Amino acid sequence: MWNKILIANDGSEDAMEAVRTGLRLAKQLGSEIHIISIEEELPLYAATVGEVEEAERESNGYFQKLNKEISEFAESLGVKPIMHIIRGHAVEKVVKFATDEKFDLLIIGFMGHSKIFGRVMGSTAQNLIRLSPCTTLVVKVPLK
Amino acid sequence: MIKVLDPNLIALIILTAIFIASVISIRFAISVAIIEIAMGAIVGNIFQIQPPDWMIFLANFGSILLTFLAGAEVDPKVMKEKFKESMLIGVFSFAAPFVATLLYCHYVAKWDLKAAEIAGCALSTTSLAVVYAVLVETGLTKTKLGKIIMASCFITDIETVAALSILFSDYNWKSFIFIAVSVVLILIAPKLFPKIFKKYEERAIEPDVKFIIVILFIFIYIANIGAGHAVLPVFVLGLVLSNSFRQNIVLQRKLRTLAFVMFTPFFFMRGGMVISFKELGLAMGLLGILFGLKIVTKFIGVYPFARKYLKGSQVYTTLLMSTGLTFGTISSIYGFEHGFINKTQFSVLVTVVILTAVIPTFIAQKFFHPKDTLDFIE
Repeated sequence: MWNKILIANDGSEDAMEAVRTGLRLAKQLGSEIHIISIEEELPLYAATVGEVEEAERESNGYFQKLNKEISEFAESLGVKPIMHIIRGHAVEKVVKFATDEKFDLLIIGFMGHSKIFGRVMGSTAQNLIRLSPCTTLVVKVPLK
Repeated sequence: MIKVLDPNLIALIILTAIFIASVISIRFAISVAIIEIAMGAIVGNIFQIQPPDWMIFLANFGSILLTFLAGAEVDPKVMKEKFKESMLIGVFSFAAPFVATLLYCHYVAKWDLKAAEIAGCALSTTSLAVVYAVLVETGLTKTKLGKIIMASCFITDIETVAALSILFSDYNWKSFIFIAVSVVLILIAPKLFPKIFKKYEERAIEPDVKFIIVILFIFIYIANIGAGHAVLPVFVLGLVLSNSFRQNIVLQRKLRTLAFVMFTPFFFMRGGMVISFKELGLAMGLLGILFGLKIVTKFIGVYPFARKYLKGSQVYTTLLMSTGLTFGTISSIYGFEHGFINKTQFSVLVTVVILTAVIPTFIAQKFFHPKDTLDFIE
């Protein structure tokens, strides 16, 4: 039913729960699994190349570290996710990627942190549900 | 209105504004330089604070450090690869707006010749940094399109600093000392300086960074005694050191940190503090004309060559080549500080420079983004 799953990850607590859920689901269903992270947009109208390069380096480092941790968890489950780091507008890029690559299921966290996703359009999760080209699963960290 | 302020309170207001500018920049992903200029304009117009001497000193060094970094951030490999195309685009990208702005300001707006030359320099620039951010964002840096645009920006930058140096130097016999010392330093730099950087790069007290500051001050000093301008030799020094600078990430980051904390905020804030909202309001017509003139003349200079070498992306290329920021601001501040332009002229020029950083970039990305970037991948 869901042969190709995409998880959108912004590094927030809910998104990491979505990653874990997605990886477990992919393991059970034997699905192809992809994880997409959207880097923050670079400073517009920069005065120095250095400002752009440093911003680029900062965001690259953030997701590379995160993806390393995810890979270790996936390996413990015996799943091999394909990671993508794309720069730009979170909703636009995730929807475009899910559409272009014909995913069957999109998994997202209930509430991102404002650092990457929330900043752009307010409720990223709401917009993703509204615009997603496929079935969308929203994952919440269980209330304690 | 605040009339007399304690110097420490002035410093506190300026530094707080600088801090707030960096927070806003991160929050909204807009260049810190533009926010600093805006903050400077607010501080200058609302609090009526004039830049204190210490700030002017730091700002002046900030402009030299920015020029050095701009030279050091040039990728000579890209420039060599795309020399012919970028030379043609770069030369006309500078020449067309320079000549048109100079003629318009002198003969129509009745600015005196030196003021018109400053306007020509300020509005002929292309901002490599603005363009670079767009190219990285859209994944075009490794494409033929990206390489030609970046190399053309380098050429335009070189022409701007050369024009600023040549036009505003008051030549006398001491100028030979300036030229001779500059040539010697530039010739020995690629071999000698990297050894010094290497030797001291691990030291916490940062002798490598201090060494660069000393060298830059040598240029400033000899330029002064030679009645010249240090921007050209400093830019060329950065250029000849660019290979070693690219390989030395540690030094690169240390210099950037130093620049972003200690010098460039004062440079951009200072620029903003000189802008007068009142005078700007009275010169809106001129502002619109100069903005239009820059865009139209960039089209005249760049479009034909972009159509020849980058068919399908000629409008996109021309719009990106129409952007300006750092050297436009440097030229305007230089002109104001040396009395070549007045406060109104300065306010108009810097505002046009900022508008050219924003509007052409927005239009290029929104309406003329190359549809299939794969066409340009080499």
